[in-house]
Amino acid sequence: MITCSRCGKENQDLYKFCLGCGAKLQPAAAPAPKPAAMSDAYPPTPPPELLGARKPVVSPSPEAFAAAPQAVVPAALVPDFVPSVAATPLPSSAAPMPAAAHFAPPTSTPGSVPSVQIGIGSVPMQVPTRPNAANSPVAGIRAVTAVPPTATPMSSAAAAHSPFSAPAADTVNCPNCGKQVASAFAFCGGCGHRMKAAPGAVGEAALQRVEAVAPTPARMGPRGHLTLIRPDGTEGGVFPLQEGPSVVGRGKGVLFDSDPYLSPEHTEFLLTENGLEVRDRRSLNGVFVRITDEEPLASGDSFRIGQELLRFDAINPITPLDDGTEIIGTPNPGYWGRLSVVVGRDLDGPAFPLFEEKARLGRERGDILFPEDGYVSGAHCELAIRDGRVYIKDLGSSNGTFLRVRESRNVPSGSLMLMGQQLFRVAYK
Amino acid sequence: MSTKTCPNCGNHCPENDRFCGQCGTRMDAVPVSPAGGVGKTMFFSGVQPAGLAKLVLVKADTGDGLAYQLSGTEHVVGRTEGAILFPDDPLLSPRHANFFYRDSKLFVGDEGSTNGVFIRIHNPARLESGAAFLVGEQLLQIEALAPDFGPQPDAEGTYFYASPKRASKMRLIQRLRGGDIGLIVRARGDSITLGREGNDVNFPDDPFISGRHAELSIGQDGAFTIVDQGSKNGTFIRIVGETQLAHGDYVFVGQQLFRVEIT
Repeated sequence: MITCSRCGKENQDLYKFCLGCGAKLQPAAAPAPKPAAMSDAYPPTPPPELLGARKPVVSPSPEAFAAAPQAVVPAALVPDFVPSVAATPLPSSAAPMPAAAHFAPPTSTPGSVPSVQIGIGSVPMQVPTRPNAANSPVAGIRAVTAVPPTATPMSSAAAAHSPFSAPAADTVNCPNCGKQVASAFAFCGGCGHRMKAAPGAVGEAALQRVEAVAPTPARMGPRGHLTLIRPDGTEGGVFPLQEGPSVVGRGKGVLFDSDPYLSPEHTEFLLTENGLEVRDRRSLNGVFVRITDEEPLASGDSFRIGQELLRFDAINPITPLDDGTEIIGTPNPGYWGRLSVVVGRDLDGPAFPLFEEKARLGRERGDILFPEDGYVSGAHCELAIRDGRVYIKDLGSSNGTFLRVRESRNVPSGSLMLMGQQLFRVAYK
Repeated sequence: MSTKTCPNCGNHCPENDRFCGQCGTRMDAVPVSPAGGVGKTMFFSGVQPAGLAKLVLVKADTGDGLAYQLSGTEHVVGRTEGAILFPDDPLLSPRHANFFYRDSKLFVGDEGSTNGVFIRIHNPARLESGAAFLVGEQLLQIEALAPDFGPQPDAEGTYFYASPKRASKMRLIQRLRGGDIGLIVRARGDSITLGREGNDVNFPDDPFISGRHAELSIGQDGAFTIVDQGSKNGTFIRIVGETQLAHGDYVFVGQQLFRVEIT
């Protein structure tokens, strides 16, 4: 906790400004402006096995070892990462690629040169991770928080093709999709287009192997992208979405491997002429889509605002048991629903009854308040009941309201979604 | 028991009664009755053998209602089964509770009812985690929370994403009629006070709750102590199995509130 020197309010260690009065806060101990340090203050602590996994126990070759730290950079949400650092030439590190590598067109984003995927794909749990940044659920929320205005769904089509926010010294435009690509890169980060001929036989061999494994030709540009949004709002890496189904999850690519909150098969993206369907693969934590309009809310639906995971339940009508007995209890004073703060698997924290026609949620104003969650806006979202139906809408919050996908839903290009602890934007043609 | 006939109304009265139970006519000039009773209290319901009990039905607005003499050894209360029936009370199980004597003492036992038997507490009472109790119209449940061992992965190695936890040892659950949960409150300290206003948890719209009604505190073993704060309508805890009753006890069975009178 940091106690504000101006108003005395206690703030979480990662806050830069006081929640009470807005005064700039002095960091509690070590300077904590960086995400890694910020998340140190946060539970849960990284699980021991993941801590152990930080050590590069298995490093098949010096190249792979060198590639590994780069591999975690985009997923670990380090904001000050400079793309050019990672511009390792393809051939040297492509050599140890295992036959089981699951990427067809290696996506090359600032950090994720193809070698990166090799390192992750071959020894997933032994790749160094940055547990404090990557394993804390807060990391994803920070990603939410830091989304700049340009990352709103409306502007995403443009943003999908925007250059890296960190200036690259030397870039060329991809002839396929027009994205700016570091000149050292062999493939376009936006669409996977090969930017230059493979310079060596080793690279050729690796690529042939990739093509043999992958069902789709590597040269075919993907129709869509899943872009990781870093805590500072910059783009952290791209996962291509081909025509047809793509399943993402922990172990399915560099963007996902360091997130222990992703199930191995987490979300299926089905890209067809009808658009993009997002299907939850019965993942533990689900996939959440940022809502842009008022949406109907069904009993049992979950949504996320700030750091909070909330669940709505309708109040069931009283039905007698088989022997005619009704269950005793407080006479219902007019509750139509209940909002529970989910604090664990099968464990609810506080639960708030809903009885007015509208219930506003926020940090400072409204009926249900989360005064300790700095990622919740003053007035954040609203639940309402009309004609027996329940609706949820965002009240122009900074970080958005994310509704869990019940089974599957179609999402427009530009939608933002939370999977595990990370924020992604989808874009497709 | 031998009887005599009232000269005024013809009612058959116990031999040693001084007044007719039906019309109140004095039946003899020689006071032989025990207990030194005064005429106005000696109505029909006062006719009970020493040591036996009766249940007086307490009505919220009209005062006391019917009285039930517990003159047998067992007296089952239920909706359809037993000696004391309330066919219109949906909160009663068909066979709900049993008032019985053992070693000349009165007990009440839960006959495996759905909704249980609640008894008003006089002294600080112990509640196990998960136990239910009544204050005013509120049916509440108190639960101890297990210490947090941090996140644990599932079988696939995935961690559950949840809201940030604020450390808490216990939570209070409001149970609505029908079984649903109304609200849940997590306590930050070791105790929770309940009432209409000025407490940790307030029920301002409950007309039967007192300003300061009850206090719960958690002990070292994870069980709770509940104390009534001198409330008007009392604090009732659900009995487990059976419990002995004393004169003046109040017992809630379904929607029926009984006062126990033992002479």
